[in-house]
Amino acid sequence: MIKTYASRFWSLLKSFQVTIVMLALLMCLVLLCTLAQVEMGTAGAVNAYMRSFIVWGDFSLVPFRVPIFPGGALVGLILACNLMAKTLDMKRTWAKAGMWLVHLGLIILFAGEFVAGMMQVDTNLSIEVGQTVNYVSSYKTMELALVDVTDPAYDDVHSIPESLLSKNRPIPVPGTPVTLSVKKFFPNAELANLPAGQTSLATAGVGPGVQVVERPTATADGEVNQVSAFVEVLAGGRSLGVWLVSNALGAPQGFVHEGRAYTLSMRLLRQYLPYAFTLKQFRHDVYPGTDIPKNFSSLVQVVNPSRKESREVLIFMNQPLRYEGKTFYQASFGKNDTLSVLSVVENPGWLLPYVSCVLVSLGLLVHFTIVLRRSLKRRQEKLEG
Amino acid sequence: MNFTKHLAWIAGGLALLLAITFALPPGKARGFDVAGYGNLPILEGGRVKPLDSVARNALLVIHSRQGFRHEGRNIGPDEWVLDLMYRPQVADAQQIFVIDDLEVLGLIGAKQTKNRNYFSFTELGPHLDEIQKQAANAQAVTPQKRTRFQSAIANLFDRVFLYYRLRNTLQLAGSPGLGWELQSLGGADAAPRHADLTQLAHFRILPPLAGAPPEAWQSIGQALTAAGTGGALHPGLIPMAKLNAAYVANNPAAFNAALAEMKTLVNGLKPDALGHANREVVYNRAQPFFAGMIIVLAAFLAVCVSWVWKPELLRPTAFGLLFAGTIVQTLGLFFRIILQGRPPVTNLYSSAVFVGWGIVVLGLIIEKMYRNGFGTATASLFGFASLIVAQHLGESGDTMEMMRAVLDSNFWLATHVVTITIGYSGTFLAGAIAIAYALRKHIITVPDPETDRALSDMAFGIICFALFFSFVGTVLGGIWADQSWGRFWGWDPKENGALLIVLWNAIILHARLAGYVRDRGIMVMAIFGNVITALSWFGVNMLGVGLHSYGFMDQAFWALLGFCSSQLVLMGICWAPSRFWEPRPGARA
Repeated sequence: MIKTYASRFWSLLKSFQVTIVMLALLMCLVLLCTLAQVEMGTAGAVNAYMRSFIVWGDFSLVPFRVPIFPGGALVGLILACNLMAKTLDMKRTWAKAGMWLVHLGLIILFAGEFVAGMMQVDTNLSIEVGQTVNYVSSYKTMELALVDVTDPAYDDVHSIPESLLSKNRPIPVPGTPVTLSVKKFFPNAELANLPAGQTSLATAGVGPGVQVVERPTATADGEVNQVSAFVEVLAGGRSLGVWLVSNALGAPQGFVHEGRAYTLSMRLLRQYLPYAFTLKQFRHDVYPGTDIPKNFSSLVQVVNPSRKESREVLIFMNQPLRYEGKTFYQASFGKNDTLSVLSVVENPGWLLPYVSCVLVSLGLLVHFTIVLRRSLKRRQEKLEG
Repeated sequence: MNFTKHLAWIAGGLALLLAITFALPPGKARGFDVAGYGNLPILEGGRVKPLDSVARNALLVIHSRQGFRHEGRNIGPDEWVLDLMYRPQVADAQQIFVIDDLEVLGLIGAKQTKNRNYFSFTELGPHLDEIQKQAANAQAVTPQKRTRFQSAIANLFDRVFLYYRLRNTLQLAGSPGLGWELQSLGGADAAPRHADLTQLAHFRILPPLAGAPPEAWQSIGQALTAAGTGGALHPGLIPMAKLNAAYVANNPAAFNAALAEMKTLVNGLKPDALGHANREVVYNRAQPFFAGMIIVLAAFLAVCVSWVWKPELLRPTAFGLLFAGTIVQTLGLFFRIILQGRPPVTNLYSSAVFVGWGIVVLGLIIEKMYRNGFGTATASLFGFASLIVAQHLGESGDTMEMMRAVLDSNFWLATHVVTITIGYSGTFLAGAIAIAYALRKHIITVPDPETDRALSDMAFGIICFALFFSFVGTVLGGIWADQSWGRFWGWDPKENGALLIVLWNAIILHARLAGYVRDRGIMVMAIFGNVITALSWFGVNMLGVGLHSYGFMDQAFWALLGFCSSQLVLMGICWAPSRFWEPRPGARA
């Protein structure tokens, strides 16, 4: 009984029906995802259609979300299983050598996209000419940074991620006498001058003069939430006041406790690097007599004490720097060509598509050559016969 | 028999000769060597090109054609631009502005009195303020969100402004000319005039001086400003002033002499510029893709006639014509590669040209293999259609514009873009064969399983070919994206379009392998391949991320919709149950 179910399942898994249905579903998903990008932005559409197991729809008639379509992850998973079953099932003859290569390559391609979906980390590095930067920042995620700036030569940085702030719990900051208590958290807010007659939760810093209005969180590409919170600073058993922190506020706000100076600021989540970049020159060339960009390039000095390395690198379009598992690309610029923005990508599976490309191309070439030879032979025989 | 064999070569040779005659230089206009003037190299749009290219593209943008008739004479782009720059009063009276939009016609108070909606600059003159005001409103709206009127008025304003800039590039229109400017260099209001000339100049005609950076071409205004503020006089200003005076004075001999002087000077300052400009002028005149389009159409007509009349004579003739058309197009592609120093596909226009080329080359190969006329017929028809698309895309101006920084990689343009475009060609040709199969089934009443078999083999072979190229092209695109944006695959509309083609071709092959579809099913699916390829080629540009103006894309949207629905109808015809397309015994009696 179990055996028949298993063998039935196996023959279904390796069947062409599954291949074709899944390919067709994937086509629909790709089409829907492309059309949805107009409304939702690329990241939103990809998360809703391609990187999910189920595509959910919101209808005004029913109060809950309704599954409307299998998501890209599910289709991809079934297709990958089908592909593997098929490959295992294929005759191990030389005539099928090309198909073996193709399917092996496709499995690697699927694995590559899976690794990218799960493990790829996108950050960026903004750097002004002459500035030295030793961290990369997130595009959207914020952190509350408590920095001990007493020693002018050294900053002691303590970072509280956005997700922890939203829990509305007292957060003791390890290594400092400070405990932060979140009074109110806004995932996205608009700040304005506080109208006369209204009071703010804040009692210290710039907060008492600022009105905070909650906003729906942003989804479109390139939009950043203005994450804001009222945070009470507790140290030595007493309150030092309630601060308003938000990435919409400019400079960090400071306080002093037991002779040590601290700053408090909401900023894009940083990841500090064991090496530093100094931007020596940024070039933005245009074709003469036009404003069509011809080239963007950043000349950076990479200083890495652990490797005893200090060298100049030119990063330009189509010529990224791959360094210590991260890849730095010329992405954008600003501030009248004195600010260069490098995209930083960390993807442990970045080599997989390259391997896959070689295998599949080779496989298709081998297979079609075999097919062509067979068909020509048949024609020849027919002509002779 | 021998004669028929030679006829193919004769037909092809004649077509080639005809194409070459296009490339010959035209005679002098009213005694002036206007073609020689068009050969002068200038800097515009970031690259050095002949003035002829500027004139052609401007006339194409303004008038939708590269020439027009005025007072019983054909006026070419070189003569037109000379008049416009030196004798604006003559050019202003020529009716070259095409206005089709009814609301715009209403705005400028033009009653539908004329049979064609052509206007001269003088006629538009009283309405310029209104046009500018309305266009300023329209331009505040992003191109994708403009109404039909808004895009039409913005487009008209752009054309008028281009005309106005050309008119004020070599001298301020209405001023006595360059000679007078040189005499009154230190004059009271000279400086603001020079500033206006600098600002309005559409191109820079004076080559960089010895010692200056190679891209430091100067416009007349820049050179006058330099001279007026105590700098050295650019030596090119003197022959330019002579050219100006001779043209205005209607003195061909003096004009041609001054032109020779200017060319000697350019050769001294920039030795390779004149040769480069000359090559581009030959390309401009030859219009190889237009000539190729006509020849390919002739091939299609010949093969169509061959089905009803003298097939043994006309089928080889059609093949010869297709071969000639392919040669002309190949030469055109080579010219573009040499002129641009880039692989053949760099923008939407060149992709259409390249798709057409790929289709005819593939068609030649399968015709050589099967010799039944279907390769010629399908390839010539779809090659022709693709060149028509290219012709429309080329109307937006310079087809050899400079590449934006991210595209500036000959390696990836040569590998990814070319491969994927070949994949488009293959998918379209397979679709074309499928259409031929479907129509033939309905028209030919005698069952002919051998031809059916051959057509189905052709379609299958080409789908394999298309799958290979579109897959490799897509993956190479991913690798390029990994190199320049840091991710292999980002589900961007253009990437998704390419993926759809790969998936569809894969579905066809798997369905055939599994035995779910036979000949007819494959053909229906192959026709749908046309829809998918057209959508991913052009459709994604209409989602609002395209590089082309809405005006064009507005028309293109309907064209695309028409194409896709025609393919769906053809799928229906192909899918129709066999009783509709198999002759019933006795039914014809």
